[in-house]
Amino acid sequence: MNDKLTSLWQRLFGDSVRAFGVVSLIFLASLAIAPAKNFFSEWRHYQHGYLKMVRNRSDANTLQRHFQGGIQQVWLPELGVVDRCTSCHVGLKEASLTDVPTQPFRTHPAIPHKIEQFGCTVCHRGQGAATTLTEAHNSTLAWEQPILPAKYIESACGQCHRGSLPGTPQLNQGRNLLSRDGCVHCHTVKLPDGTIMKATDDPPSLSHIADKTSREWVYAWLKDPQAYASTSTMPNFKLSDDDARDMSAFLIANSTPLAGDTATLTAKASSDPAAGASLYGESFCASCHAVQNAAGNMVGGDVGPELTRVGSKVKPEWLQAWLRNPRTYDPGTAMPHYRLNDGQVATLSGFLLAKADSDLLANVHLEAATPEQITHGKRLVSDYGCASCHEIAGIKKPENFAPELSRIGSKPVTQLVFLPGMQHTLPDYIATKIKQPRSFGQGLKMPQYTFTPAQIDSLTTALLALNDRSNTLPASLAVGATPESDYQPAGKAGKLMTDLACFSCHRINGHGGDMAPDLTWEGSSVQREWLVQFFKNPGTLRPSLIRRMPRFNLTDGEVNELTDYIMTVYQNPVIDRESMPLSGYSQGQVELGKQLFYGKYSCQGCHIVDTKTDKGYIGPTLTHVGSRLSGAWVYQWMKNPQALRPGTAEPNRAMSDEDARALTAFLISQKGAAAKEVAKK
Amino acid sequence: MAKTGMTKTMNQYFDDLRGTRVWRSIFRSGTGSSTLKRALAIQQNVFLHLFSTKVRTRMLSLSATWYLGTLTLGTFLILIATGIPLMFYYHPSAPQAYADTKDLQFVVSSGLFLRNLHRWSAHAMVFLVFAHMFKVFYRGAYRTPREFNWVIGVILLLMTLLLSYTGYLLPWDQLAYWAITVGSNIASAVPVVGEKIHFLLLGGNAVNANALLRFYVLHCMILPLTAMFFVAIHFWRIRKDGGLYSHASEPATQRANANPGVVANAKEAQ
Repeated sequence: MNDKLTSLWQRLFGDSVRAFGVVSLIFLASLAIAPAKNFFSEWRHYQHGYLKMVRNRSDANTLQRHFQGGIQQVWLPELGVVDRCTSCHVGLKEASLTDVPTQPFRTHPAIPHKIEQFGCTVCHRGQGAATTLTEAHNSTLAWEQPILPAKYIESACGQCHRGSLPGTPQLNQGRNLLSRDGCVHCHTVKLPDGTIMKATDDPPSLSHIADKTSREWVYAWLKDPQAYASTSTMPNFKLSDDDARDMSAFLIANSTPLAGDTATLTAKASSDPAAGASLYGESFCASCHAVQNAAGNMVGGDVGPELTRVGSKVKPEWLQAWLRNPRTYDPGTAMPHYRLNDGQVATLSGFLLAKADSDLLANVHLEAATPEQITHGKRLVSDYGCASCHEIAGIKKPENFAPELSRIGSKPVTQLVFLPGMQHTLPDYIATKIKQPRSFGQGLKMPQYTFTPAQIDSLTTALLALNDRSNTLPASLAVGATPESDYQPAGKAGKLMTDLACFSCHRINGHGGDMAPDLTWEGSSVQREWLVQFFKNPGTLRPSLIRRMPRFNLTDGEVNELTDYIMTVYQNPVIDRESMPLSGYSQGQVELGKQLFYGKYSCQGCHIVDTKTDKGYIGPTLTHVGSRLSGAWVYQWMKNPQALRPGTAEPNRAMSDEDARALTAFLISQKGAAAKEVAKK
Repeated sequence: MAKTGMTKTMNQYFDDLRGTRVWRSIFRSGTGSSTLKRALAIQQNVFLHLFSTKVRTRMLSLSATWYLGTLTLGTFLILIATGIPLMFYYHPSAPQAYADTKDLQFVVSSGLFLRNLHRWSAHAMVFLVFAHMFKVFYRGAYRTPREFNWVIGVILLLMTLLLSYTGYLLPWDQLAYWAITVGSNIASAVPVVGEKIHFLLLGGNAVNANALLRFYVLHCMILPLTAMFFVAIHFWRIRKDGGLYSHASEPATQRANANPGVVANAKEAQ
């Protein structure tokens, strides 16, 4: 063995020339590793694979012609993008490659942007400069941001698009949740356009809570808000019995009575359930309030609080005062001031008080509060930041109570604390933090929310969109959101509209809710007589909708005030009532309009003119449209509905003037005769 | 026999080469293997005259020096050879510097090889310089008449460390940024002038584009040229100080070998 080694050594390094030759060869061989590694690079391997796959396809010629070998890149200096992803993902732009099961050779799903316009990493994250799979996709020592999981991809849209988009439901929902579920009460979110995200929920003031409810209920609520109302957005602070006892003691002791709120019962609560249910239905309470039915399903809207167990919560005298005029207790409430008479108040309050759950407070027994408990309760109330959401007399709203989230989507992974077994990525951290906030350490204050997994994904998506890129975007790329205006109608009518909480459902001049139609141009749209009748007895315009305009029992004076204001102020400058009168169209024109309605434009697909034959129920019923709308409005609506009401479902059919005129003539002739005939039968 | 034949052929070939006009015009010396011719060949060449005209064969064996100095020179040459092509791809500007590093890694042909070779050679050079100095120190080779060359050696150690330090910033990543931040803060701990040194080093109060440019110029121009200058002196002094240190050839050893008794007496006298 040893001899062999010696002889080998002799043969290789026996004299200087040989040794020089051998060493040179070894050196050359090791030098050859560099170009060899270059040649056998990953991207070359993928490109060979692509060409091999393409060869057997019917469209091989086209694909081979489009193929460009070598490293490919998208370079966008103003975005800081150098993306070489297309070196391996060769078929992204080939529309015919949809049948390839997976990447890297599948075509990119259809999106409104070109790859050359934004590259890949602007949306997908990852390391664009890399040309190896591990470096490009995964997080490495030199690159923290791995590929964004596909379920959060809508966050990428939100970097430029600051308003809601029809194609990004998850992002829109996440942004809504951020402002609607109170996240932004504690967490400051400075949006890229410089504005601060505002909360759209309206947590009630607790300064007069003793008027409204009992200490026992407050205790039970603090312990577990969802036990009272499963849809409640109040999170669970996981309080100990003693802490909940002390906090309820403080809140009740801190409460001051409000004049007109604790008035003695003027009418005894009636216990006629049938009358109560029908008044509840007639007043369309369910448009805003939900009640859990026997099957466990929620029935009703989510604008106001759930009423399933309201009888276990409110004091009867407070409920009556509230029903009479909610603005006494809460001037900013979204609840309209129904003009209910004493009898109606009694019926409705009786109906609501019957919605009680005797189990809720069965086990709550509280001793009278001691001063120490109240002091301790006050400290807890400020420690937990209750005043971030609720107005509480004597406690200031804390500033920057929770970490700011304006750039959370770019938070370095090195600054995060992960739970054992968690994936060490930012999206996972955010999702887990929302799901179980207290598990990240002792003494954390963020309460437990009851989001569904889909809601958590939406929130994570919205938060990931708040990142460095969205904040440093070239101004030309940012697509701004339409900010909510602070429009307030003026004068007596304005006061009346606030009292009736019109803006809880309707939108006017960029302010208000989206449950009911936008009324910005209502004065140009409708006829005065119809509006007066509608206020007195709101009928159904859209058969498919469950939520309807309630009757507010307005006086004639109030109706006139509102009607005058709407007819005078909410006018569209384009619409000239004189141009399209309400009568005087020739029979021929009406006939032509009818043909267009049923023939060329097939309007009966969504609308009903003849109740006997038409089946359309998506759009408003048009049997009375001639006595409801103005001719000029109908004409302009035919020409371009989106110009009058952005986002309306009515399609823009690009009608000629003649067609629009004929259709207007036909529609204006529909003055309700057909309905009268039906009524006669 | 064939072996000797080949060697002869090679020697003849070199002799022919040395006899050509081109060779003679460049190197100013022709063929001939007499001591005079060899000495002239060395002396008349600007590069070769840094080296001794004669070296003992024994000093060329591994055990004499472990080749530590030569290996250090070797890494230095590799660093120059790889550093120049790296400069072709590199802009000393923020944030382009980092992108260039990424490009070297991902798209430049053999870019990663160049960069890694540069990096590993730099590490090796620092190690070898220290090893070389330990060897010199423990052999006692720093003593008269080589004490000045020891000083040059210490300067070269400093150059090596500065080259290593300035090169560390150039990738412009987090590691580089914080290493230089910490390093430059150490400089500001110097009494009285610390803050000034810190400012001078970085071209500002924090590690930014100015610091990058400064470190680039230092790393690619000033420090390598300074190092080359001192390397030349270092080599020239080896020759002038009597060649590579060998215990047996030291005058004191030789004297002791010639008159063992004298040295023994002298030692006793001490």
